[in-house]
Amino acid sequence: MIKISWNNILIISRKELLDARRNRWFIIYTIIFAGLSLALSWFGLSGLGNYGLAGFGRTSASLINLVLFIVPLMGISLGAVSLAGERERGTLIYLLSQPVSPTEIVLSKFMGIGIALLGSLTIGFGISGFLIGWYGSTIALGSYLTLVLFTFLLSLVSLAIGLLISSVLKKSDTALGVSIFVWLFLILFGDLGLMGSSLVINLDIQQLFYAMLINPLQVFRLGALTTIRDNLEILGPVGNYAFRNFGNSLLPVFVSILAIWISVTLILSNFMFKKRGII
Amino acid sequence: MRISLLPELFISVFLLLVFQTHAEQLIVSESGKYFTISSALENAQAGDTILVKGGIYSGSITIDKPVVLIGKESPVIDGSNNNTLISINAPSVTVRGFVIQNSGKSLSREDAGISVNAEKAVIENNHIRNVLFGVYLRQAHGSIIRNSRIAGKPDLTVPRRGDLIRAWYSDSLLIEENELNSGRDVIIWFSTGSKIVGNRIRNARYGLHFMYSNDCHIERNQMTGNSVGAYLMYSRRLHMKNNIMAYNRGPSGFGIGLKDLDDGYLTENLVVDNRVGIFIDNSPREIQSTMHYAGNIVAYNDMGIEVLSTLERSIFRENSFIENYQQASLGGSRTAEPATWRHNYWSDYAGYDLREDGYGDIPYKSQKLFEDLLTRHPLLRVFIYTPAVQAVDFAAQAFPVVKPRPMLSDSVPLMFPRYPAHLAGLNSKPRKTFISMTVILILSGIFIITGFSKKSKGDKQIIKNETKEQGEASARGPSLIEVRNLTKKFGSVTAIKDLSFSLGKNESLALWGANGAGKTTVLRCLLGIVPYQGRIKILGMNTEKNDKTIRSMVGFVPQEIDFYDNLNVEETLDFFAMLRRAPTSGISDWLRLLELHDQQQKKVKNLSGGMKQRLALAIALLGNPPFLFLDEPTASLDIDSRRDFIQLLKQLKKDGKSILFSSHRLEEVSAIADRVLILEKGKLVKKCRPFELTGLESTSSMLKIFLEEERIASAITKLNEEGFKADRNNDGIKVIVDPKNKARPISLLASSGIFVRDFDFESNGQD
Repeated sequence: MIKISWNNILIISRKELLDARRNRWFIIYTIIFAGLSLALSWFGLSGLGNYGLAGFGRTSASLINLVLFIVPLMGISLGAVSLAGERERGTLIYLLSQPVSPTEIVLSKFMGIGIALLGSLTIGFGISGFLIGWYGSTIALGSYLTLVLFTFLLSLVSLAIGLLISSVLKKSDTALGVSIFVWLFLILFGDLGLMGSSLVINLDIQQLFYAMLINPLQVFRLGALTTIRDNLEILGPVGNYAFRNFGNSLLPVFVSILAIWISVTLILSNFMFKKRGII
Repeated sequence: MRISLLPELFISVFLLLVFQTHAEQLIVSESGKYFTISSALENAQAGDTILVKGGIYSGSITIDKPVVLIGKESPVIDGSNNNTLISINAPSVTVRGFVIQNSGKSLSREDAGISVNAEKAVIENNHIRNVLFGVYLRQAHGSIIRNSRIAGKPDLTVPRRGDLIRAWYSDSLLIEENELNSGRDVIIWFSTGSKIVGNRIRNARYGLHFMYSNDCHIERNQMTGNSVGAYLMYSRRLHMKNNIMAYNRGPSGFGIGLKDLDDGYLTENLVVDNRVGIFIDNSPREIQSTMHYAGNIVAYNDMGIEVLSTLERSIFRENSFIENYQQASLGGSRTAEPATWRHNYWSDYAGYDLREDGYGDIPYKSQKLFEDLLTRHPLLRVFIYTPAVQAVDFAAQAFPVVKPRPMLSDSVPLMFPRYPAHLAGLNSKPRKTFISMTVILILSGIFIITGFSKKSKGDKQIIKNETKEQGEASARGPSLIEVRNLTKKFGSVTAIKDLSFSLGKNESLALWGANGAGKTTVLRCLLGIVPYQGRIKILGMNTEKNDKTIRSMVGFVPQEIDFYDNLNVEETLDFFAMLRRAPTSGISDWLRLLELHDQQQKKVKNLSGGMKQRLALAIALLGNPPFLFLDEPTASLDIDSRRDFIQLLKQLKKDGKSILFSSHRLEEVSAIADRVLILEKGKLVKKCRPFELTGLESTSSMLKIFLEEERIASAITKLNEEGFKADRNNDGIKVIVDPKNKARPISLLASSGIFVRDFDFESNGQD
């Protein structure tokens, strides 16, 4: 039975958050995310503003794309350099020589950076949401907040993946390189592979849908679209299949998959961190 | 000709005078002559006006005379959810100013708010709500429905609802400026020559549903949030102009749907954010007919235009296709060139306008690879909104060999969109709740980032409570460390082999050995931060099972000190004090003693090596632990600091600390250690007293000389010229020297004018 001190986790998380505030990458990511979401909302909503048409469709599509690009990159890269960076600088051994367990360190990193990401995302979504509300868009407030929730879950999945990378690598540069490769795989190569597979080996609707659920970025996208559109018909036959089979359970299913991704990856990170040790 | 018209004119004037002379006004009210509308109708003559004052009246009223029924002060006609509320069976009846509510909900009986079965009815300024059918027109030619609000039964599912307006074999209708909500359709069937103007239709199945109705004008209507905005079927010469079809999604999700429509004109409509902007199925149907699409804005739809079968004899001019996810899907008719595309704006047009005439110099071609794949593999639609789709299209642009045939081509595209000038927009207002929530989001985000990292009052409580536990741990009995058969391997390399020793209370034990002897690894094993084989017990506790408890009783000073660079001295102390559950209140004396008291606001990255060593010792002493583990504690200190540091450690030992440290300095070991363990390649080779070390000094020593950066290269050259083996070593050089002639390199450098800042000796080549 692992005894976990939540006080320790709180103390180190707080320091992680302080580090994040002073981390130039985190600041750059936050500014980019807030700036781009503001710009996308502005252009998305103001195009036909003379006619009072503030449709969320275009803005939402842009926001989902933005989130798909930026948020996993933020989470994976910040997670990847966290433990590896400390290991490389030598601070990890000093931290572990204190009355702190490796599990507490992994959880603290996750919590601290996760909270920083939450702050960053809420600022970005807050700014774009302000414009959406100002233009009187038709999106329901609940749907918008659910989109924020899904994005936060995606950031936590990405962070957990980053921590897993970080738990086994010594150099932060190596960890950053691997994290970018993983990000590219999740965002691009995985989908291209699946797209090619479905053409070559003729995946049927069911196989394609379940194959997509393996990729957490796809799960986020499906969840975000379900939130905004109330169904997945926009995704054609596969979307209709998903909605027909899961109906109103779709969102809980997507949330559960993301939660499983977070839990399993964190457990694995903890295991690998203990195995890899401080050196 | 003039004479033949006179009798008709005479009769008309006569009838007008007769009706004007005899038309009466009957008043229905609780205090009036008539209590019910039906009783007033019974007594009314053709042409009479019945004025109904405010109040609630029961429904199921039948009007068999051409009368004018006027509600004053919004009288309510309530059907209690039974049958049709008002049935009009006489021509030229007017119903104005009523609230008409709660019809029955029988689809077979076609229960309605108002059922019109005669010509030229005028239904205006009414609020008709919770009705199955709103206004049902049967052969009601020339009727008018105007300025009314009609809402269906919202609790019924859409298939169970009736139509908000149903026109059946009723020509020349005027339906204008109505607010229509939550019904099934507004149906115009077999009704020619009607005008549908300025209506707002929301939350219905089909906003407008035309069947077999020719020569109608549909202008300035807004169809939003329906399954289909306007579905025009089996009709001819329908003119749609200046309408807005937006946010129509759901199973069909068409802004405008056209099926078997001939000679239709769609001009200057706004078709925005629908699943499909314009859906075209077999329109035009007849060979002689042509469809015209001009000046429309088709924007932000998932698909701009979707063609189910063919697209021929259609002319698209000066339309603007703006950022539809897929501009056009021409289905089976992708090679059907007879459709004319000219002077349209395409937001994905990548051409140029060197002539500066407002038109692109090269044709627009819709030939995206992914869209082409979609037509053949609809399953791939699941990938939309992914970067993979953009990658596929980019690949097609980069490698023309995989570029598909153009789906359509616009020979002279517009460079900029053209917006209809006379189109009234939707009335969208800022949403206060939404804005408030987003402001809360922004403030929360700022608070999360800036506020959470600050210490709370509860932290002091944590420290206070747990310091008590710490004190108890210190007083738990005699300090004792027992190490038995300790072995540590890194892969195939054995760092420590079968090491056993013990440490008593107030005792100080030195680990002595060359680089790689395993001194640091022993300390790490004792701290429980690396796995090992063998048994280590501290105060009777196993380090593997009680690693955290043990670490709370050990102050550790590593050889290479690496703190968090972004923290200052005070923050660093606070952070580790909280982790060690130690109050920082008593640390000020230590800071003064360690000369750190005036460095508290300094970033640790700006501290010298010696200062970092002092800070590490200050942290190690937090919480007054019974054990101190020191890894080369004076390695980074200058001569004066080293002396002070050793004095401090002696004092700590005197105060009752048990000290385990690794060192290669005789002065240090002699001053602090009670016993010495000499390690060699991980094995214990000798246990001895410190004074016994003098005789063990080797035949060679390593001299470390600390120099100014710019002098290092010349110093190495000089010493190598003199026959020494000198190499660079961090901020100086290291030289192998004869133990009996250690100072010669220093004197050589001094004679060459190279200033020596400091120096250090290590026996046996230790470093």
